[in-house]
Amino acid sequence: MLKLVWLIPVLPLVGFLFNFLLGRRLRLNERAVSIVACGVILGSMLLTLGAFYEYHWSYNPANEDKPYITTNDGFPNSFTWLPGGAAQKSLGNEKGALSNFNIPWSYQIDQLSLVMMFIVTFVGFWIHVFATGYMHKDRGYYRFFSYLNLFMFMMLLLVMGSNFMIMFIGWEGVGLCSYLLIGYYFDREEAGDASKKAFVVNRIGDFGMVLAISGVFATFGTLQFHDIANLSAAYPKEHLWQFGLMSWLALGLFIGATGKSAQIPLYIWLPDAMAGPTPVSALIHAATMVTAGVFMVTRTNFIFQRSVTMMMIVALVGCLTAFIAATIGITQTDIKKVLAYSTVSQLGYMFLGAGVGAFIGAIFHVFTHAFFKALLFLGSGSVIHGMHHEQEMPRMGGLQKYLPTTYKTMLFGWLAICGIIPFAGFFSKDEILWKTFSTSVFGGSKILWFVGFVTAGMTAFYMTRLMGLTFWGEERFRKTHGGGEADEAHAAAHDKDLKPHDAAVASAGDRPHHQPGEHVGAHDATDRLDAHGVGHSHFEPHESPRSMTLPLIVLAAGSLVVGWFGIPHALTGGANINFFERWLEPVIVQVHEPTAIQHAISEQASGAASGEQPQVRLLQRQETHEEPAHEATNPVEYLLMLLSLGIAAGGIYLGRVFYVKRPDLPKVWAAKLRPLYTLSFNKWYWDWLLDVKGVEAGKALNDGLFQVDHEFVDGGVNGAGSVTRFWAKVSGWWDKWIIDLAVNATGWITRAGSFVLRTVQTGFWQNYALLFALGLFVILIYYVYPAISTTIKGFTGK
Amino acid sequence: MLIIHHYAFIIQLGGFVISFIMGALAYVSPLLLQAQGPLLKRFEPTLINFLMLSFLLFVVGVAGVLSRRNIIIIFMSIELILNAVNLNLIAFSRYLELNKDVLAAKGLAINPLSGPVFTVFIIVVAAAEAAVGLGIVIAMFRNRETVAIDEIDLLKW
Amino acid sequence: MQLHGLEAALFYVLAIMTLFMAVFVVTARVAVHSALFLISTLVNVALLFILLRAEFVAGVQILVYVGGVMVLFLFVIMLVQTRAEEESRVRLYTGQTWPAVIIALLLAVSFYFAMNPAQAAFRPPEGPLAVAAAEASERSSAGAGSNISKDTQAVGEQLYRQAALPFEIASLLLLVAMVGAVLLARGTKQEKYYE
Repeated sequence: MLKLVWLIPVLPLVGFLFNFLLGRRLRLNERAVSIVACGVILGSMLLTLGAFYEYHWSYNPANEDKPYITTNDGFPNSFTWLPGGAAQKSLGNEKGALSNFNIPWSYQIDQLSLVMMFIVTFVGFWIHVFATGYMHKDRGYYRFFSYLNLFMFMMLLLVMGSNFMIMFIGWEGVGLCSYLLIGYYFDREEAGDASKKAFVVNRIGDFGMVLAISGVFATFGTLQFHDIANLSAAYPKEHLWQFGLMSWLALGLFIGATGKSAQIPLYIWLPDAMAGPTPVSALIHAATMVTAGVFMVTRTNFIFQRSVTMMMIVALVGCLTAFIAATIGITQTDIKKVLAYSTVSQLGYMFLGAGVGAFIGAIFHVFTHAFFKALLFLGSGSVIHGMHHEQEMPRMGGLQKYLPTTYKTMLFGWLAICGIIPFAGFFSKDEILWKTFSTSVFGGSKILWFVGFVTAGMTAFYMTRLMGLTFWGEERFRKTHGGGEADEAHAAAHDKDLKPHDAAVASAGDRPHHQPGEHVGAHDATDRLDAHGVGHSHFEPHESPRSMTLPLIVLAAGSLVVGWFGIPHALTGGANINFFERWLEPVIVQVHEPTAIQHAISEQASGAASGEQPQVRLLQRQETHEEPAHEATNPVEYLLMLLSLGIAAGGIYLGRVFYVKRPDLPKVWAAKLRPLYTLSFNKWYWDWLLDVKGVEAGKALNDGLFQVDHEFVDGGVNGAGSVTRFWAKVSGWWDKWIIDLAVNATGWITRAGSFVLRTVQTGFWQNYALLFALGLFVILIYYVYPAISTTIKGFTGK
Repeated sequence: MLIIHHYAFIIQLGGFVISFIMGALAYVSPLLLQAQGPLLKRFEPTLINFLMLSFLLFVVGVAGVLSRRNIIIIFMSIELILNAVNLNLIAFSRYLELNKDVLAAKGLAINPLSGPVFTVFIIVVAAAEAAVGLGIVIAMFRNRETVAIDEIDLLKW
Repeated sequence: MQLHGLEAALFYVLAIMTLFMAVFVVTARVAVHSALFLISTLVNVALLFILLRAEFVAGVQILVYVGGVMVLFLFVIMLVQTRAEEESRVRLYTGQTWPAVIIALLLAVSFYFAMNPAQAAFRPPEGPLAVAAAEASERSSAGAGSNISKDTQAVGEQLYRQAALPFEIASLLLLVAMVGAVLLARGTKQEKYYE
């Protein structure tokens, strides 16, 4: 089965091509498109499971946790993609620097990539199923699924690639698909702006990423992860406040991760990305794409672990992001926005875990977060669908009896994210918090733990708020103007009194442009005030169809169960059933100090020197067995566990109080804490800062540079031009009056002379004869001349 | 000038008479030919005098060629020039004949008879030329009814 | 060569007459007068030839020049003669009379200056040889019983012997000239008459 891993990304690619190229031509009906789209994902999922099976039970025992890299498998598992050094080799320069630039297209199947592949395909499959129901009767159905499949292809490349280049292709590809899918409703200004914002912010992160990849290549001469992991052993660990090569590389990579995974300062695109359809939000912005940053950090942990400074920065950024996002989430009213900030916050947790060295914990949180966040997003999608595309929570309420399945499944997700045992979120979040508290990578981590601890409470609070505003309490939708018009198709159907799900409107481009929340349709259709002046909504919220509720159920089950893969052995009384940790352990290198050995040395068994291998293997086996005995349960861990449970419970309680029991309290407290409230409601003015100040600064710089160019550069150029013109004038004057004068003077003189000399030609022969005589006289004089004096003397003498 | 012309023939005639008388006298008494009185001694003409005369004739002829309008008068001036040349030649011939020995002693030996011979040829050529030239004049006169050369200027631009 | 006595006087007489006649030739108003003056000039020159003991040439000059050429001139003058009464109004001279006269005078003067240094050379030599030669010349010039020299004989000899070819060519030239003159002067009136 491992030989077929190439199919895993190729199947979604086939689905993309099929739907994209043929969907419009053949006017495929929705059934065909959805079967193809979901079918390929199902195929990928099954292949992933097969690969997992084969890797874990047959490949791995034989190869001591080595990753399975397909470079030796030949096409189509692997082929030479960018053969470098051919020119060098042909010149006989084997040692030429570029001769290492040989990038194969190959996949790396190891524990980490299998985890990510499973997440992507499994959750992705169920989201595809949900989307078949959500996007029902949408005119661009085929386009949506083709983009979704393309995204799956890119994401799978990202997690499966065996070198930086393929990962970067996937990296960029998911950015592209994010842009395409956020801007799926391309006729809406909000969606277009959000998609551009997402892409541009992503790009800023990619800048750091590209620099880091170039630096990696310059340093190591290769881009294959496995080779770099081995080669990096030669570099020492850079301690805190040391910023050497590894730190620079890690910094570049982390900037990329910041952009992709929406950390401070590049998280601003994620809340705006909610303008896309809800399945997109679920898949891309909850479960998979945004976790690519965490995956990447874990994949390159051999670089990060060698830079303590960067680890601290990562943890700090993660922690701050978690806290700030949570504070913003408390006050948002759009259900998807709350979930978006929740995503940002949870991503912060993941980076916090990665920063303190708990890479496995971070990946574990990715794993569980994928399930419960996807569940929450899909559930909110179901709610929005049922509320006819109303997204504002103040207009919802008391929906639990109208959307029972949705409600029940969202309960699972809610409890998971709050971190209540035995749901999934508890285990992963707790592991991160414990590792934060107890980490020895750098000091001062207990403060980080405290902030994370408080954030957990806030998480519980705002999630309970969400549940309270949506499902519990009074049914506010009856009072206010119902029929949110975020989706014109549904609004139009609603106006025409069509049945739900019959959003039969012209294609997206032809619809009139409306801003979200703007009222569409005749007013009297929706404003039916009763005798007391209270408007009655025109519709009743309804449950979603089976295609949408089935994924919810599956994901709810997952939210409960997947946490049990990573039960810390603290709760098991000594038995180490933390499958997740054991599974992912070989991926994380242990960077040992030259002087002291902190933990057991378990270096990744590599093909560097075969002589080393048996020794290392022996060591590893010992350590693996030693660990459970060595690592006794710290009683503090139990304490922290109880504390986090306590604060979660406290948050839930407060949430219930504020939003269910006494709904007037939020306003009271908002008034009391007005400055904090406004800060939170306005998203800490971050967008304003970037948009207004950043753009203004950019424009000012632009103007300044333009002035410089205009004044100096252009002035210089124009000055040179006028000097040239002046010299041209001088030269022209010289040419006209001096040179031409000489030339013309010759002509004038000749003419003047000719006037004179012409008179000789009288045509009168006697004049010519006279001249003969004159000439004769002259000749005579010439001979006579000397005789003249003698003759005169002779006369006078005589 | 007209007045002098009227009397010019008289001068000519008188000259003839004087020459005749001188000739008769010479015939009568050849001694007169050899008279060498002190007065004449000084003014006795030599070759140079003949040359001077010929040159003056030549000059007069040139002046006539250059200054007259009538073609025929110009022709006659040309005849004057030719005659001046003839005179020159004959004078030299006589001189050479007389000083043959002296000149031979100095190394110069020219046949003295070449003078008259050449003169004869000149006369012949002058005659031929006069005939042809006057023929041309007649032809021109028939066309233009004039013999003034500044009126015969059809070819002139 | 030096002329003595009567010959000297005769030379001067003839010289002055020749010059006068020549000037009259050039300055005559009436063309016939000019021709007549030319005749007299030619006769004077012939006399000078005789004085220089070149009787043959003098004879040729009289016969050919005066008797032939001048008669021809007179005939032509008669033919092309304009009306006599207009002659007083006709302009005789070209515009360049004065320059011509001046040039002529200058030429004469310069010739005098050119000749002057040679005058001494042309004087009869003083030596005894020269005196003997002078006496011989006088004797030859006197002649025995005949005052005419043997010039004709000598010239004839020359013409028919040494200068035979030029003589023949000259006769050919005369033939050509004759034909040419006839052709040129034959007028259309005569042609029409003959046709």
